[in-house]
Amino acid sequence: MARDIAVDIQSVTKIYKSGKKDFKALNNVSLKVFRGDFLAFMGPSGSGKSTLMNLIGCLDRASSGEIYIHGQSLSRLNDNQLAEIRGKQIGFIFQDFNLIPTMNALKNVILPMILAGFPRSNRESNALSLLKKVELDNWATHLPAELSGGEKQRVAIARAIANNPSLILADEPTGNLDTKTGENVMELLSSVNKEGKTILLVTHDPSLTKYTNRVVNIKDGEVYEKR
Amino acid sequence: MISDIFVMSLEALRSHKARTFLTIMGIIIGISSVIIVTTSGASVEKFIEDQWNVFNPTGMVVGTGSPGPTPHISFGETVFTNRDVENIKNLPHVKNVAPVGIVPLKKISEREGFLKWVSMPGGSMYASTPDMLYVLSLNIKEGRVFEEGKKEIVVSESLLNIFGKDKKLKVGDVIYLQRLDGIPIKSKIVGILKDSEEFNILSQLTTPSILGPIKPYYSTFFGSNVGPPLKKVTAYSILYATASDKTNIETSKNEILDYLNRGESDAINYKQKNVDFVVISQEFILNRIDQIVNAVSMLITIIAFISLIVGGIGIANIMYATVTERTREIGTMMAIGAKRRYILQLFLFQSMIVGFLGGILGCILGASGSVITVEFLGNYIERLAAGAYSGKILVIFSWEWFILSLLFGIAIGVFAGVLPARKAAKMDPVVALRYQ
Repeated sequence: MARDIAVDIQSVTKIYKSGKKDFKALNNVSLKVFRGDFLAFMGPSGSGKSTLMNLIGCLDRASSGEIYIHGQSLSRLNDNQLAEIRGKQIGFIFQDFNLIPTMNALKNVILPMILAGFPRSNRESNALSLLKKVELDNWATHLPAELSGGEKQRVAIARAIANNPSLILADEPTGNLDTKTGENVMELLSSVNKEGKTILLVTHDPSLTKYTNRVVNIKDGEVYEKR
Repeated sequence: MISDIFVMSLEALRSHKARTFLTIMGIIIGISSVIIVTTSGASVEKFIEDQWNVFNPTGMVVGTGSPGPTPHISFGETVFTNRDVENIKNLPHVKNVAPVGIVPLKKISEREGFLKWVSMPGGSMYASTPDMLYVLSLNIKEGRVFEEGKKEIVVSESLLNIFGKDKKLKVGDVIYLQRLDGIPIKSKIVGILKDSEEFNILSQLTTPSILGPIKPYYSTFFGSNVGPPLKKVTAYSILYATASDKTNIETSKNEILDYLNRGESDAINYKQKNVDFVVISQEFILNRIDQIVNAVSMLITIIAFISLIVGGIGIANIMYATVTERTREIGTMMAIGAKRRYILQLFLFQSMIVGFLGGILGCILGASGSVITVEFLGNYIERLAAGAYSGKILVIFSWEWFILSLLFGIAIGVFAGVLPARKAAKMDPVVALRYQ
């Protein structure tokens, strides 16, 4: 039985113009990500992993080629439609957590629901149950500054799954955490993956590949997958 | 959705209390100074207007001089005769006319004993008809008005103490008024003018403390006559008149000028060729005062508006700083689904709230500041005029300025916020996320 394709990347090239010289960050990349995959992108800095993540995350546009998310082509969408896909179908997890410092944990989790236009009535209870899931329901009213790194990243994971997206993009989620805390976060992502969410992970750390089912290497803007 | 963004804007402002407070202060100071200036201006204007209204709102001065946009009356020539006074009084829209016979006094004396006199230097007195009381809005407090042809006078309350508080004059007393030509006139005080709040700066300037009939005080005085040697008649350099109604001041003014210039008046024959008849209405004077007060308050209002604009620049400045500082947050919000519109609203709301709060608080501060300022002005005028004015300067709020300032505050908030908010909304999320 053919598996559902979550992300379909077809001959994507991304060229950055810096001054007079053009820089090719991605060169004719093609890749299929299936629903339920836990895929790790690995590669040195400047290899193009972040560029690829930005394109899949609808934060940037490909210079040529086409990306489909659940069959939806991204190239013809306007900024608002891309924002809508980011808000409803994609969850982001960053290396620096990127929580809003003036909002407490609960409000940080509620924020994507607000931006996606979900009704006010059950936002708070949803956010609380998400915080419970990452075992931070007792920290709901704390500001990010009052949380440890691991706790911040767990709040960020709760925020990433707030709108029940099918795809989660995690860019070095353990990069700023110690090994133990990093493992906890990976366990949490793994359990999220087991609930059926597709996860794309960018990492430098080969030890994290034990949580993933696929590893894609990127070098000089091209992808190589170990089978 | 939009209400959520609004709440988020409020929370963002609340999380930077000191910064928000200082930004709002900029607007508060601007708005409150606009309100203080306009309110004080309106209050002073009303006060001055009231001072003149006591004089008599329909009043006007008839004389000779140069007319035009800035009319001028010269007091030198005596041209108006008693016949002119009668004829002007009979014009359809004229109510009262009082001739003004100014009699300079050398001294005022009282006989204390057979050969004992006390004298005080005297200013001048007005010789006129009882109509003068009406034209100047004066009332008799005690006694009665003088009668034509008799040596009777009415005096102001302040004159009663001229020989000292212990020798206060009263109705029935006799004093001697020595005219500038040296002739003393034994005069009986028949009435005392009411000297209450109806007395004011301007009527003190225009009303002498002694009023008496034309004859004998003025008609026998040198320089009060015109005409050929054998046909001399009493004449006056100015007349006070009132219109029958506030609405036809202009009509009555024209009627008077018409009559005087037509040739049947005596005055046209007696006046010199190079001067014209001039009628200055009190309304005209009021308008001039209005213009002066308006010009001054306009100038200060412009300065106040400049401070408001400076406040606006303060908002823009702080919003730019905030947008730069929150670049990464903006990138994050875009990543988790914020449309550019929401980012724009988020920052625009913040500057609007600052403008609005600044406006509201500025109005409150402006209103209370106005009360204090007007109180201060009142005290100042009181000292300046040494009590010789009527009533009190009252706070007159010009509500249109409140509304205008409030709208201007919000508008400044919007304008100051537009560029920074657009800068935020136009950010490239990839770049914003990478911002350190």
